Amino acid sequence: MDLANYKKVWKDQPEERNKISSLDIYKMTQSSSTSIVKWIFMIGLVEFIFWFSINYFATKSGTFEPYAKLNLMTFLDYSNYLHYLIVLLFLLLFYRNFSSVSAIDDTKTLMKKILLVRKTVKWYVYYNLIGVVVFSIIINVLIFNTPNYLSVLYDINPSSIDQEQMMTIIIITQIVMIALMLLVLWLFYYLLYGILLKKLNKNYLELTKLSEIEGI
Amino acid sequence: MQNKLEKKFLSDFVKNQNIVHKVCRIYTTNQDQHNDLFQEIAIQVWKNYSKFRGEAKFSTWMYRVALNTAISLYRKSSRSIKTQDFSDVSFKIESVDYDDTKDQQLKALYTGIRVLSDIEKALIFLYLEDKPYKEIAITLGITEVNARVKMNRAKDKLKKSLNP
Repeated sequence: MDLANYKKVWKDQPEERNKISSLDIYKMTQSSSTSIVKWIFMIGLVEFIFWFSINYFATKSGTFEPYAKLNLMTFLDYSNYLHYLIVLLFLLLFYRNFSSVSAIDDTKTLMKKILLVRKTVKWYVYYNLIGVVVFSIIINVLIFNTPNYLSVLYDINPSSIDQEQMMTIIIITQIVMIALMLLVLWLFYYLLYGILLKKLNKNYLELTKLSEIEGI
Repeated sequence: MQNKLEKKFLSDFVKNQNIVHKVCRIYTTNQDQHNDLFQEIAIQVWKNYSKFRGEAKFSTWMYRVALNTAISLYRKSSRSIKTQDFSDVSFKIESVDYDDTKDQQLKALYTGIRVLSDIEKALIFLYLEDKPYKEIAITLGITEVNARVKMNRAKDKLKKSLNP
């Protein structure tokens, strides 16, 4: 039997027996959506709060106290203002991208927009990760250029230890800590978004694949 | 309690709910998932209903929202695995002109469609619903040429699973 005959079978199929009443449909529309976009939005918000609080509490908890001793507070204050401004811009971009997602777009545009919401969060995470690395490098350069930084920071008499060895230990410890943090975060994102967006990525690729080959 | 827009939406949706049921049947494999997807489509149609200007037929507009929800927005819930699979459920109805052979053929057709990819399902569904290529291309956001190429591939795949 060919497809044309199956088309007829399809057309003749009986209507759904369990018709949903308008009251039930009304109730459905009052419940909240469980769509993938909602998930990405919620996870995105959690990430914004997570990174923001890390930064906020690090400033409050006195983690930066040593820097005050090195007269770096002005630098820290300004980089903080800049940071908050960038976070605000990211939040605006994130919200704008999220609210532009609509089921009335064509399928390709819709998928593109959903992936863009996810990308905004990805850029935000990259910004934070790169920020951590750049910030560490700047601070290190400033510290090691401060004369007698050991006595200033740790109350250690510089003559009692090998300064060069101490510097190596400090740098290696930092590199290991940052590498570990990056690895854990990468794994977390890889799993979280990998699971969440597997279907969407696959569908998007399938829909766009041919147009690239044809150049249309 | 309901305003005019809500009333109009409900009447439009109830009248055209068969489209949504068909989409749910091809994209899900059991009743729980069917209900979940149906609800999500209802939410999405209502959410966007105020943007429906009436320049197209409501049903045409609903095809797009329903397919978009099934392809890109809906996530299958884990609780779905426990319940009975559709393959055991017959579409049989107590009607004189609807015979057993047709029932079997319809079941075979659904089984064949369900093994296709999400995009192929949409293409075949729109073909079975007699939509022209132009409309299919616009719905999916691809060119007509692309839609034709993809459709032929999907049809071949479906034919193979229907007549092995």
